[in-house]
Amino acid sequence: LGAGQSIQQTYDLTRYLEHQLRTLAGTYLNYLGPPFNEPDFNPPRMARAERVPSATVDLDLWRGLTDNARLAANYRAYSRLLCYLRVLDGQVGTAELRHRLSHFCASLQGLVLSIGGVMSSLGYPLPAGPVGPPGPPGASAAPNDFLKKMDDFWLLKELQTWLWRSAKDFNRLKKKVPPAVVTLRLEARGF
Amino acid sequence: GLVQSCGHIIPESPVLALGSNFTALCILNESCLDFGNIYASQIIWKIKNRVVPKEQYREINRTVSSVTFNDTSSLATPLTCNILADGQIEQNIYGITVTVGLAPEKPKNLSCIVHLLSRYTPVMTCTWDPGRHTFLDTQFRLRYRWPEELFPDCIPKDVNNSCTITDTQFFVNTEIWVEATNALGKAESDHLVVDPIDLVKPVSPQNVSVSSGALPTGLTLSWQNWIPEAMMKLKFNIRYRVVGDTNWTEVPSEDTAYPRTSFNVQGLRPYTEYAFSIRCMKEDGQGYWSDWSEEKTGITSEE
Repeated sequence: LGAGQSIQQTYDLTRYLEHQLRTLAGTYLNYLGPPFNEPDFNPPRMARAERVPSATVDLDLWRGLTDNARLAANYRAYSRLLCYLRVLDGQVGTAELRHRLSHFCASLQGLVLSIGGVMSSLGYPLPAGPVGPPGPPGASAAPNDFLKKMDDFWLLKELQTWLWRSAKDFNRLKKKVPPAVVTLRLEARGF
Repeated sequence: GLVQSCGHIIPESPVLALGSNFTALCILNESCLDFGNIYASQIIWKIKNRVVPKEQYREINRTVSSVTFNDTSSLATPLTCNILADGQIEQNIYGITVTVGLAPEKPKNLSCIVHLLSRYTPVMTCTWDPGRHTFLDTQFRLRYRWPEELFPDCIPKDVNNSCTITDTQFFVNTEIWVEATNALGKAESDHLVVDPIDLVKPVSPQNVSVSSGALPTGLTLSWQNWIPEAMMKLKFNIRYRVVGDTNWTEVPSEDTAYPRTSFNVQGLRPYTEYAFSIRCMKEDGQGYWSDWSEEKTGITSEE
C-alpha cells in the first residue's frame, strides 16, 4: 500500500471504530448500571485513571508535534488501550456484549497495525520498547467493584476521545500526503 | 495357543499415487523356515483373491520375495503374501491394505464475499475450486492473516470448497488463501490480499416508501440504509415499472451514484400506479450489489 492509501484506510478504520464504540460504550455502561450509565455522570479523574493514556492534551502542543511524534503517540496509546480493553473483554458476563467487545478489540488491534503501516510507509521507525501497560496485568487491580467499574468507565471515555482526535489527525495527514508520494520517492532513488 | 506370525510385508499399509509403480517385500521369519520347511520361492502374492502373475515376483533371497506393479491402478486391498508348501494347503502369511489416490491439486478461483449478519457482525464466506477428486482423505483449510497476526484456520464443515469466517475485520488488508493436504502432498491456492470492506454484499435498502410529488409526473422514493456511513458509503440502482407491465426502467446510475436516502423519479405518466425497487453497493464500486429491495408501489397524481 502507498502512504496515501495506508492513511486513508487507517482514517476509515478510525471512523469505523469511533462509530462502533458509540453504541458499544452505551451498551457497556448499561451493563455496568447506575450511576455509570446516567448521561450526566461526570466523575473527577482519579489517580487510578492515570494508568490509561489520557486523551486530554494541549491542542496547540499536539498540533505542534511532528507527524512522526504524533503517529508514535497514537501507536503507543492504542497499544496500551488495547491491553486494558482485552482485560475488560475477558470479564463480561453477556455473550452478545462479549462478542461485540472481542470484535472491537480485533478492530483496535487492526488500528495499531495500520498506524504501524502508515509509519513504515512514511519511513518512520515504530516506537521502541514495550508499549503494553506498565507493570504486570492485575498488579494494579481495583480493590473493589465500584473502582473496577470506574476504571472501565474511564477506559471507554478516554478511548472515545482518542478515536475522535485520531480521526482528525489522519484526516489532516491524508491531505498532507498525496497518494503518489512513495512512488516519487522510489523514482528519485532510481528504482 | 497363539499362532506365531511367519512373516510380514513392507511397506505396511502404504498410500500410493495413482499410476505410479510400487514394490512390496514379503519377509519370512527364519524360525518358520526351519520348522515349516518353507522358502521365499514358494510365496504366492494375491490381490484380494486374485493371484498376481508370477512374472511380477522376484526371489530376493531364501526368506524374501518381492512383487512389483508398474501401475498402481491395478492394486486393491488386501495385498497378501501366501505360502504353498509341498503337499500342503495354501497358507496366508501376511496382508496389507493399499490405498491409491492422488495428491491434491492447487485450489483455484478463490473468491470471498462478506455479509453483515448484524451491524457489527461481518462474516466472510470464501469459496474455491478444490480441484480433481483425490480418492483420499484430503483436508482443506482457509487461512488468513494480517502482516503480524495469523488467525485461527477456518475448517470447512461437510464440504471441501467453502468456509465462513465468523469475525471479519474491515479496513485492514488481509491475506487469504486455501491449503489442501492429504497423505500424498500439499497444495496452496494463490493468495488474495484484500480489505474485506471491498468484498461486502450490503443488506438491501430497508423500509422503502413511495410518495407522490408536487408534479403529476413524479414520485418520491425514500428508504433507510442499513449500513452506517462510518462503515461504508453507498451508491444505488433504482428501477421502476408500471404495475402490470413486465419491463423495468432503470434510473441512470450516474444519477444515483452518491449516498442518499431518497430520490425523485421524474418523467412518469400522470395518475398511474408504478412499482419501485432499489439496490445498493459500495460507492466506489468495490464488492457486490445487494439484492433488490422488496417492491413498493405508488400512484402519480392526476394532472
